[in-house]
Amino acid sequence: MEEWDEIEVPKNVKDIFVEMKNTAELMVDLAYSAALFKEKEIAEEVLELEEYLDILNYHLMVRAVLAARNMKEAEQITSILQMARSIDDISNAAADLAKMVLEEKLHPLITEVILESEETIGRVIVSPESVLVGKTLDDLDLSTNTGVWVIAIRRGKRWIFDPDEDTKIMPGDIIIGRGTRTALEYLKEIARGIIKVMPNE
Amino acid sequence: MSEFEEIRGCLIEMKDLSALMIDLAFSSVMYNSEDIAEEVYLLEEKMDDLTLKVKRLTLRAAKKEKDPESLLSIIDLADINERISDAAYGIADIILRDIEPHPIIRKIMEDTEEELGRVTVRPGSVLIGKTLAQLKLPSKIGTRILAIKRGDRYIYNPGRDDTVEEGDVLIAVSSDMDKLRKLAGEEVEEEE
Repeated sequence: MEEWDEIEVPKNVKDIFVEMKNTAELMVDLAYSAALFKEKEIAEEVLELEEYLDILNYHLMVRAVLAARNMKEAEQITSILQMARSIDDISNAAADLAKMVLEEKLHPLITEVILESEETIGRVIVSPESVLVGKTLDDLDLSTNTGVWVIAIRRGKRWIFDPDEDTKIMPGDIIIGRGTRTALEYLKEIARGIIKVMPNE
Repeated sequence: MSEFEEIRGCLIEMKDLSALMIDLAFSSVMYNSEDIAEEVYLLEEKMDDLTLKVKRLTLRAAKKEKDPESLLSIIDLADINERISDAAYGIADIILRDIEPHPIIRKIMEDTEEELGRVTVRPGSVLIGKTLAQLKLPSKIGTRILAIKRGDRYIYNPGRDDTVEEGDVLIAVSSDMDKLRKLAGEEVEEEE
């Protein structure tokens, strides 16, 4: 776990907790993406995030224990610890799905299940003519404007996992996103250059 | 219906329910709502039933399969969803056991990427009388409705044909809750 010594952990309970929740949710999305597209690199990323989440959880516990000054506060803090444990359980479930991908033991039925669930995963290829090109994720705000949450971007041979708001979309990028089928179809048309305006324009 | 079709139906429902349960569980803690926590508890029981059903069907299907071991991942996927729903129950349990959630939890929920919120549909709102299918909130404003509170009653996981009525309280998850607030006719403080 030495490699994580360099990793910066947020300073206070609130920020650590927010990071844990976002990380666990990302892990579930990535694990399903890995399962759907049989992408081992995505599965590996899930396992790395799992280690990161364990470290966050440890820091959270230490700080939470320090924060209690009386019985009532201690009781309230147990609520945070209980939620943190549940988040850790979710991340472990996601990691197990990722391991199944690495071991190549997925039954074809699983692909159908992922594709037919309410919120599914899609792969969106960005054509050079698309209005997405050259804009940052912050400019585009795809989650609000199209209902698609960007989980990862494939650029050439490289993966950008959990891209931040300054990430610019380039022609040829493959966006892995989560959303309803309608939302994903809509983003696909924007990415193909068929729809020329973003809804917020 | 073949076993596989039935298994597929169960697993899709389990995947949708486990995701819904997580959102509902966090909402229950955020709003200190026993009603929502209670629903998570009921859904958890449903998930247990579905898990058992998938396992039984898979075993039955395995009898006819040349390579029964290839079905193991189906049971594993049911198990993974069951564990996610257990985790959701673990969160809702805080409310069911009457522990007062720490005040920072609410702040935490407002700071996460997917914001949870409760929005009241005001008189004159454009949402009134429309079905969720007509509104297309997920693709239009990045918002999913987890539940509709109508009077004392909750409609959980509302479907395409459910209609929004005046006075409804929408429990939603969104990247920008203010958009929904505006559509519902609530006062929104403008940014900047």
